[in-house]
Amino acid sequence: MNEDIDIFELAKFAIKIAEKNYSNFKCAEVFIGKSEYLNIEVEENSVKYSEIGRNHGISIRIYRSNGSIGFAFTNILKRNVVEKIVKNAIKMMHVGTPDPDFKNLPENSKPYSMVEGLYDKSIKNLSIEDAIEHVKDLIKTCSEDEQAISQSGDFTANSNLSYIFNSNGIEVSGEETYFNISSNMIVKDTINGEVSNGYESQMRRKLADIDGTRTAEEALKNAKRNLHRKKIKTKKMQVVLSPKGTINLILNPIASAINAESHQYKRSFLVGKRGKKIGSDLINIDDDALISGRIGSNIFDGEGFPCRNKKIIEHGQFLQSGLLHNSYTAGKEGVESTGNASRRSFSSIPSIGISNLILHPGTIQKEELIQNVKEGILLNSTADSPNIATGDFSGLISQGNLIQNGEIKHALNETMFGINLLDLFENITSISKEYKIYGPYSAPYVKIDNVQIIGAQS
Amino acid sequence: MERENELSLFNDAFIADLLREAGNKVEYWDIRATISEGTTLDFTDQRSTEISSYEMTNCGIRAFINGGWGFSVLKDLNRDSIRSSFLKSIKLAKLTRSLLKNEFKINERDPLEKIFKINSKLPLSDINIEEKIKLVKSHEKIAANSSKLVSNTRTIYMDGVSDYIFINSFGSKIKQNLSYLRLLNMVYSRKAGITQRSINSVGGLGGFEILSTEKAEKISEKTAQESIKLLDAKSPIGGQFTIIADPKLAGTLIHEALGHACEADLVLSKESILKEKIGKEIALPDINIVDDPSMGQGKTFGLPYELFGSYFIDDEGIPSQKTTIIENGVLKNYLHNLETSSRMNLPPNGHGRASSSSAKPQVRMGFTYIEPKDWNIEELIQDTKNGILCKDFLYGYTNPTTGNFQFKCKFSYKIENGEIKELMRDVALSGMILEVLKKVSAIGDQKSFSYSDGICGKGGQSVRVCDGGPYIRVDDITVGGLN
Repeated sequence: MNEDIDIFELAKFAIKIAEKNYSNFKCAEVFIGKSEYLNIEVEENSVKYSEIGRNHGISIRIYRSNGSIGFAFTNILKRNVVEKIVKNAIKMMHVGTPDPDFKNLPENSKPYSMVEGLYDKSIKNLSIEDAIEHVKDLIKTCSEDEQAISQSGDFTANSNLSYIFNSNGIEVSGEETYFNISSNMIVKDTINGEVSNGYESQMRRKLADIDGTRTAEEALKNAKRNLHRKKIKTKKMQVVLSPKGTINLILNPIASAINAESHQYKRSFLVGKRGKKIGSDLINIDDDALISGRIGSNIFDGEGFPCRNKKIIEHGQFLQSGLLHNSYTAGKEGVESTGNASRRSFSSIPSIGISNLILHPGTIQKEELIQNVKEGILLNSTADSPNIATGDFSGLISQGNLIQNGEIKHALNETMFGINLLDLFENITSISKEYKIYGPYSAPYVKIDNVQIIGAQS
Repeated sequence: MERENELSLFNDAFIADLLREAGNKVEYWDIRATISEGTTLDFTDQRSTEISSYEMTNCGIRAFINGGWGFSVLKDLNRDSIRSSFLKSIKLAKLTRSLLKNEFKINERDPLEKIFKINSKLPLSDINIEEKIKLVKSHEKIAANSSKLVSNTRTIYMDGVSDYIFINSFGSKIKQNLSYLRLLNMVYSRKAGITQRSINSVGGLGGFEILSTEKAEKISEKTAQESIKLLDAKSPIGGQFTIIADPKLAGTLIHEALGHACEADLVLSKESILKEKIGKEIALPDINIVDDPSMGQGKTFGLPYELFGSYFIDDEGIPSQKTTIIENGVLKNYLHNLETSSRMNLPPNGHGRASSSSAKPQVRMGFTYIEPKDWNIEELIQDTKNGILCKDFLYGYTNPTTGNFQFKCKFSYKIENGEIKELMRDVALSGMILEVLKKVSAIGDQKSFSYSDGICGKGGQSVRVCDGGPYIRVDDITVGGLN
């Protein structure tokens, strides 16, 4: 970006013209985002592609006293364009509908908690050559394995700066980094020629925590476990969710279902369930923004409001206070924001998103959990997602294996399953001690009884 | 657009300058730059939750040396920053080249110099924001007032116009002036503690005329009725069934069950189950499948605008064209970009697409469809003893490596003894790429031919696509269910 532009000055300039230009002005917010990234891609197990890029932009959100909203953004950081954008936002606000549910943007009244480890300085000196070293770990793992025939993967390093200012006195800025490495390993059975793939990724705030070798090894393990695919018969069975399965079927749906907006618009299957038991005693879920160094951690949210830790589900009970709010939904409900305003970039209006969603681990070892299954499925992943409005899930097991007498057997082909999430929560009979962290999720292994499996074997 | 001047910095002198700079250091390079502006309106329960406008610039520069690519993305459109990013891309390509093990060349193409423009009947620049809001509000009102059972409505309107320039080392210089519009309508209904939703969209390349068709005008009424109907739908029983797919679902099936595995980048990276299958019979002899993103197809559907998945040229300067994928059951062609076609020593077929000028082109579909045959729909249903009539889809995906695909239908009706019976919701269908095209037991006629549009994701990029076909019947499909 043009370094001669003072971002603070630009933001204040934007707010000032917003305040001046409209008599029924209620409040305004300026968000400035700036990011830099570097990306190396592997194809056919060889470095293929490298990319560097920069992004920046400014947006303004403005409200009239009757609650009508205007929003505009640009990535052209010039005073005359910013001025035009602010005027556009005012024009947009002028034509919007009144919204009595809008109360106010956040005020600068709450203290911020310190959260360590959001930014890794080593990104400043990270060269493309250093980045390639991480990718070499991926390539080596694939080359050294007899069954691995190809791999796609990538390494990405990102740094983001964000500045949020509003006319209620919020003035915050923060810098964060994240690094990502992924591997999609292709293996071929040396005897029958069957081909399969396995995927693994890792996302961390600290470069030193990125482990390409482990990521590739895990992908390789998944790929091999996905060989010898067979169709099975339709039957009710126990299902053991791997951490990725737990994210697909428990954490990700809960993340959508506890969003206050989906409750206020009655779009969630958990509407009317607050204060009630929604599943097994074993379920304890928090949304914690304050864990040092985690991907979903933050000091302030997308509106500059302080982040915190929230208990969502305790011993199977969905807590009265278990919804995630931004300032709009909080104002509508007459509570305080939970600091969950999320925005993907300067170009989006804050929605609501999780911080770090954590399913508390149990006491049983994962091996033991699998050993106790007489006949069931180890579900590694599904690309499907449930209908959040009804909680109904029916979908395909993308990667899964049959379990017989406590042992993991062949992989599954064309095998589907179906369950309502409330039944799934009810039927959880154990949760493992071990857990994995993927992005903002902490996920253990989870055993569920009585799941309808639909096989293609007649 | 008034700011077209910024792209005029790519004049002949500057391009000559870049060509000189690149010299013999690179084998191929290209630059894409876009200046765009647009509007988003998001309404929920008849209130605006977003009314926004934007102005954006995007630019991406690619350089290629002997199998290695470098790509550099910038936002400031001026000659100095473009020149310095150009040099960065060359440096990245050199570095990549020094590490790779698969060497290959990009086959030289004839330069193309052309200007393309979408001709809107009602240009977006002539439509003021009040008019757009009025239209969104009316859809919200129709949906909300259609029944007491409607609990929540949402309508999203998006439009945008852009100026685009593409230049490359072959000497191509292509300018485009594009315009698109899309309207999405969602309705939630609630009865006795049950919530159901339906979503519909209409979109295309053109101006405000996209919302003037009868289909567009009735979209909210249709969505509301659908969500209400679904309240009384039953969960399906899982098992093996014969299904009849409507054109929208048939299109999705072709897109997921075949299209992705035909993308040549996945073939080269050994990730596609269709590797080494060219010339082989992978479908019944009745089946013909093509991908044709070329312009001018809107009018064949009686539309006053271009299809959402169409384009003049792909993002590597190759004109869009009709590509035969399956002819009489035999796999004829993969979909290619510049790289994959060079490596397979074939002409490119215009499928190198990027979601924006800041993203690299990948091999992507455009408008994929199965060609009609001769079954009349009524006869087709009567001929089906027991099965499921599946209409429209919610989403779909595929694993091109294992060949397993899955998609979810919006509406599904039981068929008993050739008659349409009760409605079922959330029916999930699954199958195997190499099996399903051999299980198609009937293909509908030209009269039933239709399409749908949507957004397709791959490698973190989303592009506009269309797919379609006539009604088709497929035997022995796995249906997921809760019971």
